[in-house]
Amino acid sequence: MLSVNNIVKQYAAHRALDDVSLTVEQGKIFGLLGPNGAGKTSLIRIITQITAPDSGEVIFNGQRLNSNHISRIGYLPEERGLYKKMEIGEQVLYLARLKGLSMAEATKRVKYWFEKLEMGSWWNKKVEDLSKGMQQKVQFVVTVLHQPELIILDEPFSGFDPVNAEIIKNEILELNRQGATFIFSTHRMESVEELCDSIALIHRSRKILDGAVEDIKEQYRNNTYWVEYEGDYNTELPSGIFDILYKDIKRGKTTLKVQLKEGQTSNQLLSVLLPVVNIQRLDEVIPTMNDIFIDKVKTKD
Amino acid sequence: MNKILLIIQREYLSRVKKKSFIVMTLTTPMIIAGFYGMMIYFSLQGIKGSSNKIAVVNNNKTLTEKLISSKNATYTYVNKSLPQMKAELAKTGYDYVLYLPGFSLDAPSGIQLLGTKQAGMSLNSRVADDIGNAIRNQKLKQSGLAQKDLDNLKSSVDIDIKKIGETGKEEDSSAGASTIIAYAGGILMFLFILMYGIQVMRGVIEEKTNRIIEVMISSVKPFQLMMGKIIGIALVGLTQFILWIVLTGIISTAVLKIYAGKTGITETSVSAALQQQNKDKMIKEATDKSPVGNIQKSLANLDLTKIITLFLFFFLGGYLFYSALYAAIGSAVDSETETQQFMFPVMMPLLLGYTLSLSVVTNDPYGNIAFWLSVIPFTSPIAMMVRLPYGVPDWQLALSMVLLILGFIGTVWVASRIYRVGILMYGKKTSLKEMIKWFTYKN
Repeated sequence: MLSVNNIVKQYAAHRALDDVSLTVEQGKIFGLLGPNGAGKTSLIRIITQITAPDSGEVIFNGQRLNSNHISRIGYLPEERGLYKKMEIGEQVLYLARLKGLSMAEATKRVKYWFEKLEMGSWWNKKVEDLSKGMQQKVQFVVTVLHQPELIILDEPFSGFDPVNAEIIKNEILELNRQGATFIFSTHRMESVEELCDSIALIHRSRKILDGAVEDIKEQYRNNTYWVEYEGDYNTELPSGIFDILYKDIKRGKTTLKVQLKEGQTSNQLLSVLLPVVNIQRLDEVIPTMNDIFIDKVKTKD
Repeated sequence: MNKILLIIQREYLSRVKKKSFIVMTLTTPMIIAGFYGMMIYFSLQGIKGSSNKIAVVNNNKTLTEKLISSKNATYTYVNKSLPQMKAELAKTGYDYVLYLPGFSLDAPSGIQLLGTKQAGMSLNSRVADDIGNAIRNQKLKQSGLAQKDLDNLKSSVDIDIKKIGETGKEEDSSAGASTIIAYAGGILMFLFILMYGIQVMRGVIEEKTNRIIEVMISSVKPFQLMMGKIIGIALVGLTQFILWIVLTGIISTAVLKIYAGKTGITETSVSAALQQQNKDKMIKEATDKSPVGNIQKSLANLDLTKIITLFLFFFLGGYLFYSALYAAIGSAVDSETETQQFMFPVMMPLLLGYTLSLSVVTNDPYGNIAFWLSVIPFTSPIAMMVRLPYGVPDWQLALSMVLLILGFIGTVWVASRIYRVGILMYGKKTSLKEMIKWFTYKN
């Protein structure tokens, strides 16, 4: 759907993007991650054609990115804004028509969305009279109204209360089911885990990690387990197949974090533990995106 | 194109619907009409005459020439002594007593103007002038001139200026009229650019302060946004101006009717008084050389349709061109406070064009300076207006018009480029190299 090839973007004294390449597949939700100032926004601005790269190219549906693609992309910038003095209904219609919708079509869709997100009574209100969360909702509608094939959301959940965040999340998933591709730039790793199919991690202007979320997690599995059992902490544990990374004993319960040695499996762990202790829990420690993020960024520093 | 129209529509409607616009548009004509009403009032006061009746006590045997009465001062010679008049002044119905003692005509002194009220400055100088004139006339008569010679001294010189056309046919010149048009056009343009150029600039900053710039730029090209904004806001200016003229006309007529009805003064006398005043003003403001009749005559001589069409073209062209310059300022800055320093440099060329047009171009309408001034877009709107009535070759006219249009579009383009670079720098210094790169960037 979208491939970014060897993009370089240089500002006066600062290289914002250094030979960044990535591919976003049709119908997927793609997470663009990275610490502040990594170059995410610069990359998004290149995809939305607000700026142009110094070198490299962006291919959209097999064509080199050009101005005809503008109406097929929806962009929710991190820096939110609407015309403060303008009435909501009028404003959304205007922005939709700028994207190329006819008046009739725009009206129909705005009505649909306003009803769907329970914004019907806002039509004649001015933006400055709305709360921040309400403005965010309006902005989300503006972004998706023209049914773009590619929707780019920069920190879409900031400013939303949990209820509205859930509503927006569901809308994103529904649009995705209907075929829209998403690029999702965020710091909130839990939403990445919930939503994203694949990610790219940008740090210091370079891409340092990319791939499907499942694959990356798989890659970062290191045969570590949480074990919880009842019994005396003095109980001698059979050693040899694992190392204990962490141990905690509370109210007669022992919690262990163990890393299995090369070639060992959880079943083998169970088989050595079962004769000695009363096992209550055994979990594989799967690294969260948060852990991976921090780990990658720190090791690069 | 369609997007530009949409932007024009929004920029126009969102401004015209504003309360401040409606209030301004409605109240200004009232204020103007109010001034107009005051003018009527005062000029009527002038007609009815706050006339002063002055009793003249003449003790001067050498000054036989009588003081000539005027609207503001009527002189009546009385055969009473000064102390008598002083005592009886209130009863006699005179406002003042003018006492002329025996002085030599070469050194008039000791003259007194007495009244229950103190005479004002204007009456004082009026009387002094009248006495001076009387003395002058008497001296002239003493040197042998008759009354009819005195009357003959006043003469009005009126030169008919004609241009010889290519065919050798005489054409009436219209230099006076053109100067008036140029003056009026220049002032109008100044007003417009000052009032609405700044609005264009503010409008361009609007997207930045509302932080909607990224959404806009990811929907439309900066050029479309700029063009739409400039034209939209320019139309707001024109709307307001036309409404002002129409409303002022309506309100003034109404005020005139009411006033005339109340005071029993016929409308014609009021308007005659006003006309007189307007004419006086026009002459003062415009050329003090051309008498009124000549101006009207030369106005009539111009090919009015052509003049008006070209006038409108250059007016709109200049207005749009300068609006685009203001837009360029707006796109270079982040907030309105930063704009102040740029205001004057933008007004400079207009000012220069204005002064040069009215001095150099009127003196030498076919010279090199006149040519360049009327071709370069910064000054052409005014300079061409001045040159037009002298006759401008078609190719120069065409060149000037094309350059003005190109200048406008070019400025909008430059403004949109600055805008684009301006947004993206986010506090980073905009280097010249980066600017050039942006200017040459092709989509």
